[in-house]
Amino acid sequence: MTSGTEFDLVVIGGGPGGYVAAIRAGQLGMRTAVVEREHLGGICLNWGCIPTKALLRASELYRQVKEAEAFGLRVDGIGIDFERLIQRSRNVADKLSRGVAFLMKKNKIVVFDAQGKLESPGRVALTTNDGVILPSISAKHIIVATGARARSLPGLEPDGTRIWTYKEAMVPAHLPKSILVIGSGPIGIEFASFYRALGVDVTVVEVQARILPVEDEEISKLAHIAFAKQGIAIHTGTTVARLSRVDPGGVLAWLRRSDGEITEVAVERVILAVGITGNVEGLGLEALGVNVDRGHIVIDEWCRTTVPGIYAIGDVAGPPWLAHKAMHEGVLCVEKIAGVDGVHPLKSTNVPGCTYCTPQIASLGLTEAEARDRGYALKIGRYPYSANGKAIALGETDGLIKTVFDAETGALLGAHMIGAEVTELIQGFAIGKTLETTEAELMATIFPHPTLSEMMHESVLDAYGRALHS
Amino acid sequence: MGVPHDHEDSQDSSPEQVMDRIAEQILANAHDGPNGLGRLFASPLARRVAREHNIDLTALTGSGPHGRIVLADVEKALAQTRQSEPEAAAPPPEAPVMGELMHATPAPPERTIAQGLPDKQILALYEPGRYEVVPHDTMRRFIAERLTLAKQTIPHFYLNIECQLDALLEARERLNGMAPQEGPRAFKLSVNDFIIKAMAMALQTVPAANAIWTEEGILRNRPSDIAVAVALEGGGLHTPVIRDAELKSLSEISNEMRDLASRARSKRLAPHEYQGGTTSISNLGMYGIDSFDAVINPPHSSILAVGRAEKKPIVKDDAVKIATMMGATLSCDHRVIDGALGAELLAAFRAYLEDPVTMLV
Repeated sequence: MTSGTEFDLVVIGGGPGGYVAAIRAGQLGMRTAVVEREHLGGICLNWGCIPTKALLRASELYRQVKEAEAFGLRVDGIGIDFERLIQRSRNVADKLSRGVAFLMKKNKIVVFDAQGKLESPGRVALTTNDGVILPSISAKHIIVATGARARSLPGLEPDGTRIWTYKEAMVPAHLPKSILVIGSGPIGIEFASFYRALGVDVTVVEVQARILPVEDEEISKLAHIAFAKQGIAIHTGTTVARLSRVDPGGVLAWLRRSDGEITEVAVERVILAVGITGNVEGLGLEALGVNVDRGHIVIDEWCRTTVPGIYAIGDVAGPPWLAHKAMHEGVLCVEKIAGVDGVHPLKSTNVPGCTYCTPQIASLGLTEAEARDRGYALKIGRYPYSANGKAIALGETDGLIKTVFDAETGALLGAHMIGAEVTELIQGFAIGKTLETTEAELMATIFPHPTLSEMMHESVLDAYGRALHS
Repeated sequence: MGVPHDHEDSQDSSPEQVMDRIAEQILANAHDGPNGLGRLFASPLARRVAREHNIDLTALTGSGPHGRIVLADVEKALAQTRQSEPEAAAPPPEAPVMGELMHATPAPPERTIAQGLPDKQILALYEPGRYEVVPHDTMRRFIAERLTLAKQTIPHFYLNIECQLDALLEARERLNGMAPQEGPRAFKLSVNDFIIKAMAMALQTVPAANAIWTEEGILRNRPSDIAVAVALEGGGLHTPVIRDAELKSLSEISNEMRDLASRARSKRLAPHEYQGGTTSISNLGMYGIDSFDAVINPPHSSILAVGRAEKKPIVKDDAVKIATMMGATLSCDHRVIDGALGAELLAAFRAYLEDPVTMLV
């Protein structure tokens, strides 16, 4: 007995976690609905991963064209059509969002354009953005995949015009002359990199002692050097004491260093990138007794909340805030519900992280410091871009590939990379780590020559004192 | 030659191609067999950690994709072994450590199995359709590997003896007759329980035979830890170990053996329950076998092959009498046990068995 309001699974949120969970459920023969209040594809596709990659592609291309002379190419009259640059990014996002709609249709998933709210276990109330109340829908299993939004700090609230979150930073009407980026995680650093490449004066403020604080310390340091060389002003160990709107059309920021010293910085625009917080409000979670802790839904290894039949995946369920982690959770959560054999909980040390700044940064597993803290005896391998033939030919000689092994078992504990195309290289180590290879299999793997990937091989060899080209 | 052209082109034509395809099929079956039958699937890291900690991968159930053994499975087994270690009778601190020696034994198959005839060559001798191929399970491969290793590396020699069992059978009947039928002290002794106990006592009487070959030196074991072969339904065998058998009463040995055998049959033995020991007992008496020679189970230095007990005419005090006789053959590793030492061990074994009261002291 099914009607238009009864389902096996309802997913609230059509972002990468939610739509992938729905597709997997569709594949497994479950009658599935997705409730999405804004755009299919969520932030990732519309306001995050994808449109920023389109922007970064433009700034990267611009940088390369400016360097063309070194390659023996003459390019005259290079300039920026900022409006068109932004429009291209929007077109890319739109195209992919339509692609998700097609996938929903193909997998016979019903999509409700509405705000979903848990009415009772197994029942979701629907309200459209115009305030129209739709008939409630029901399902034995409900996955909350509502994602997250930019976190704001007291006194540092976005105003949508001069003080931006990632969303405004992606679609400005004109290119500002100067920007202050607060927070040096992946989001802040990608915008800093993008705007700097287009010639904007960029200042980055980070409260921690180093930028990209979750990365391996050595990688942070190399990134710092590279960004400073590009002309980005970096203030670490620094907080923003106050932001004040000043005329004409700018912002004055008071930066306080850890030793108390205050610096004033006048900028045209500010980007807030101090982390994100889960979209847990207005879902009826508290009323049903779903445990929410510091802005995120508490889940177990199978993405189950404290209430049977209600699950949470992706950003709303806590860090790492990565689309691929959300997708993985979506699949494992649905497979567990469907009773598929051989489902495994997510292993956080197997989740790669990528930052698409210039130079790119990619990492997997434990940093050197984390591995030491856990008591491992380590073997560390390093290989620089400056020694790799392909990197030299590409004119990309800044970078490093670092590998961290457990000296006792040969397990690959972590890989940390900075340099051209590392975001495309990291999956080699991710496959190896997921298959539980040791250094022996990585050494025995044949890497094609000449490629950047050879550096991965050399880094592994170096950890055991066997690097061939260093 | 003489074969029509189109036939020659078809892939069925040459016998060699047929053989190739059959061989491929067999390999494919072995790899894709249900429940991970065939070759052992384990991640490189799981293999390495298992090797370092002497965990038997064949005894583990893989939790990875398609039953692949992953690090977590090995770590789980390791935690279980560590937990149960204090329970198992720990050897005195100065005793040789069994674990160190065991490092060398579960060697990967590629190192130990000498190449026999290639499959293709064997298949060429048999007509397709007149046979079926049963893929190896992990136990079959393990047996093949270990016993090939034994026959290739251990110089075996064999000693035969006959033991008179009349006193033993009489004692057994009396003891079983007065055994409580229920409760924790209930027991029902088998002839095999006496054999285990007699071997345990004999190893104490002849301690030089309670030993194992290592490249560095002869490892002399202090307790009598005796492995007993248990045949499994549907083929294969397990060898759980009765530890400190010289200190245990017949009823203790009997009850422990019953428990180990039943768990061996349901494949629920932990590694520490089938590893170690210096000798094994293999009893085929119940199958009507008079006597046989067994293959030593590495790293042991001997194995006792026991045949059936049978009434026979014997000559005693120059008169023919009827007695219940049982044949036993001791296979010895000549690197550790010389002929005279083996004979001494076997004589001690027979003395205990023929006069079971002596096992009490």
